[in-house]
Amino acid sequence: MTDKLLNDEIIAQVRDVFDGLQDEVEVMFFGRQNDCDYCDDTRQLLSEVIGVSDKLSLNEYDLEEDAALAQQFGVDKAPGFVMVGRQDGQRVDYGVRFSGIPAGHEFSTLIHSLILVSGRDSRLNDQTRAFLAGLTEPVHLQVFVTPT
Amino acid sequence: MVISEMVEASEFPELAMQFNVSGVPQTTINAGASTLVGAAPEEHLVAEIAQALK
Repeated sequence: MTDKLLNDEIIAQVRDVFDGLQDEVEVMFFGRQNDCDYCDDTRQLLSEVIGVSDKLSLNEYDLEEDAALAQQFGVDKAPGFVMVGRQDGQRVDYGVRFSGIPAGHEFSTLIHSLILVSGRDSRLNDQTRAFLAGLTEPVHLQVFVTPT
Repeated sequence: MVISEMVEASEFPELAMQFNVSGVPQTTINAGASTLVGAAPEEHLVAEIAQALK
């Protein structure tokens, strides 16, 4: 049996925060069979978090075997995952991507992102929304972080 | 129109090196068209995105 990554105390805290979840969110995880040091841990972390709420679901894919899906969602790294809204059986993409394990400080980013996608609200201010609504070219933000 | 990607720098060192990541967080916009170092207010990020698209 595999040890849990998250202890009971953390799970209880996550459960409290997930009271704020509204609509359904699917996490699409992309792993790779070889040369992926953090795939197993990331998969397990996501599984433990997503198991806390039935508004959340996890589907696991392989970067190579499911290359078309990975390409559709612009996933090119493993471990990598996408958070999408689930609405009437459809995926709604809000552009949220994670490459690598969201451990340490990034664990709260993971939880917060799930809540934002679930609420279907970026919580950005009106000026920012107006700017983004006027975009005519794609924007790719890559936020480099380290877990500690 | 906007993709926002967390990248764990230590797992993807080639990419971090390509974009000269020396401190975190660092936000790279459109493969280096513009870069924001540190955590920045929303307005600042918007200004950098606008700069990257010029």
